[in-house]
Amino acid sequence: MKKLSEVEEGKYKIVDITKPGKLRKLCNIGVLVGDTIEVIKSCPGPIIIKKGNITVGIGHGMAMDIIVEKVK
Amino acid sequence: MEEKVIAIAGNPNTGKTTTFNALTGTRQQVGNWPGVTVEKKEGYYIYKGVKFKVVDLPGTYTLTGESEDQKIAIDFLTQNQVDVLLLMADALNLERSMYFLILLSELNKNIIVDLNMVDLAEKEGIDYDVKHLEKLLKVKFVKTIGNKNIGFEDLKEAIYRKCKEPVSSECFISNYGDEIESAISEIINYLKNLNLPYPERFVALKVLEKDEYFVNLIINSVNYERINNLISRLEKFFNKPIERVLIEKRYGIIHGVVQEALIEKKKELKLEITEKLDRILTNNFLGPLTFLFIMFLTFTFVFGIGKPATKFLEVVFEKFGGIAANFPFPFWINSLIKDGIVSGVGSVVLFLPNIFLFFFFFSVLEDTGYMSRAAIVADRLMHKIGLHGKSAIPLILGFGCNVPAIMGTRILENKRDKILTSLSIPFMSCSARLPVYLLFTGIFFQENQGLIIFSLYLFGIIAGILSIKFFGSTFFKKESSPLIIELPPFRFPYWQGVLVESWTKTKYFLKKAGTIIFLGALILWFLSYFPDPTKYGAQSNFIGRLGSIISPLFKFSGFGFWQASVALIFGIYAKELVVGTFGILFGVGNLMESLKIYFTTASAYSFMIMSLLYMPCLATFLVLKKEIGMKWAIVSLFWSLFIGWLFSILFYQILNF
Ligand SMILES: Nc1nc2c(ncn2[C@@H]2O[C@H](COP(=O)(O)OP(=O)(O)O)[C@@H](O)[C@H]2O)c(=O)[nH]1
Ligand SMILES: [Mg+2]
Repeated sequence: MKKLSEVEEGKYKIVDITKPGKLRKLCNIGVLVGDTIEVIKSCPGPIIIKKGNITVGIGHGMAMDIIVEKVK
Repeated sequence: MEEKVIAIAGNPNTGKTTTFNALTGTRQQVGNWPGVTVEKKEGYYIYKGVKFKVVDLPGTYTLTGESEDQKIAIDFLTQNQVDVLLLMADALNLERSMYFLILLSELNKNIIVDLNMVDLAEKEGIDYDVKHLEKLLKVKFVKTIGNKNIGFEDLKEAIYRKCKEPVSSECFISNYGDEIESAISEIINYLKNLNLPYPERFVALKVLEKDEYFVNLIINSVNYERINNLISRLEKFFNKPIERVLIEKRYGIIHGVVQEALIEKKKELKLEITEKLDRILTNNFLGPLTFLFIMFLTFTFVFGIGKPATKFLEVVFEKFGGIAANFPFPFWINSLIKDGIVSGVGSVVLFLPNIFLFFFFFSVLEDTGYMSRAAIVADRLMHKIGLHGKSAIPLILGFGCNVPAIMGTRILENKRDKILTSLSIPFMSCSARLPVYLLFTGIFFQENQGLIIFSLYLFGIIAGILSIKFFGSTFFKKESSPLIIELPPFRFPYWQGVLVESWTKTKYFLKKAGTIIFLGALILWFLSYFPDPTKYGAQSNFIGRLGSIISPLFKFSGFGFWQASVALIFGIYAKELVVGTFGILFGVGNLMESLKIYFTTASAYSFMIMSLLYMPCLATFLVLKKEIGMKWAIVSLFWSLFIGWLFSILFYQILNF
């Protein structure tokens, strides 16, 4: 398990979002805990993730609170 | 005529504006929601003898009282007559749109779902059984393709019929399971005597979700403790934060419904292009390069295309001024028309082509989806000065004209970011300041004109950063909001929409700025004309006396003579007038010679610094007032006056050392 801010490009599963406020923000856009996402762009700078037709840019500060797990 | 009100709600980029435009055509206006600075769009259309007023609500993913624009949506929907709530749903992201439907259904309105973007969904091999959706969710669905004008007759008919129906309590109300439902009933009981202007169940859910705004509404209630206990009990039961339970329940329900109504077909094309483009456009190396290139293109076009139009208008005004001078009216009327109205209002109208083009490019960049990528690219840099990526867009626009730039801060959701960005935009050297630089560098810095002008632009940026740092650390404790921005799929711009959009905004600018500038022009003319009409703009007239009062302030900046002060006063109007004023005061013929007598190299530079910084022009000030409020507009005014004054002295003294 790693923070989203630390991973390379590839497929991941969201395990947890540690700050409730941030959880709500991401969920409202349609990305939930348990979802499989693809990281299109990694750090430095904002991270870009993709889930289905939804593409979201996430700032570094926010990505530090998102815990992910590599999917084979 | 009977009037019905339709509110359009939905996630960003689902086609709300497109639909709004398709329904109302050009019968629309932009305004502000009362008391706040989020843009409000209203229009109307007539169908079967009924007048339908359409309101475009701010695009959101959810309904929380914590954000300004969502609070507006909630208040509008609960406290105004809304006959039909039209939910724009994106067929490509139906689950998310239906999630929003669940939230909206708590507001007890007549809802119609406009299932838009069905063409794109089809290409992705997705179709939905609308009849089935209607049965499961108990709301009317209409399919449309916004940018091809397909489906709007059906939509109008559906809206027309819906208005005749009473609000159905049948509309899909979610069920969160026994534990939560009983908690909701309990909270509703506690809320009974608070008389809140929102539906009870809606408030109960918001309180349960710990929505700050709604929690604050009940924080003084005797039952606040009990509600809190209730929440902790639930959280212990679910072993999760309650807001997460609610969100997951909703998505759970919706996921089932959407899957059931889904008709999968063969895929035609994947949205892979977007992904490929994203990899390039947000790449850490290529991203900034393309960003700069696109900005360069935008500027070249805006000024390239704008220039002939501006020149043309200039000639028209000059001609008209010339004719006006010979009108068979009393001398003072002619002077009022020529020196006051034509040169005052005219100097603003001259910007019109540029402003329109700016809005146009802004719309195109937004419509194609590039804007949100630009925010990603700029984020790292902006982070260093305490803002985030989205702020870069309006700041860059400021180099063209501060007015649309400040309007552009509307894309920032956080008040702090919006105010900080708006406060630094007036330091971005807009095109109107260029004539001042050209005149003075042409006389005093012939050898390295380009370098000097560049240094002024740079200095403007530095002043902007200083302002952000200063106000950011003194007045705003809170951090910039975390960056989270959806990147919509890349699309070709929808030209009709882009044109309507930019025209509506230009019209609005013209109307607002025009009236006030007109008044300002009258005042300045009056000051220049009286008491001795034969000496228009001379020291013995009011304007000259005013200049003489102010001029001692600039003794240490090296331009403590009254003409410079008058030029600066006129420049408040529009910064081009700084040059124009010198022209009037010294006579165009020997302008160069006179300036050489009055200015030195050092004072010329400090005067340019002053012209760059000293205060937002009238139009900018008005927009500031509109966007961030009178208080901050005045702060901006005094801050820039102070900064300009301070740095003009500093530069003069250093250069003279
Ligand atoms: N392909 C397709 N594009 C659409 C449709 N409706 C709107 N658009 C485009 O989607 C983009 C976003 O639309 P807009 O009305 O600005 O969305 P808003 O953010 O909800 O106001 C624009 O480029 C529209 O031209 C549609 O039905 N099909
Ligand atoms: Mg819109």
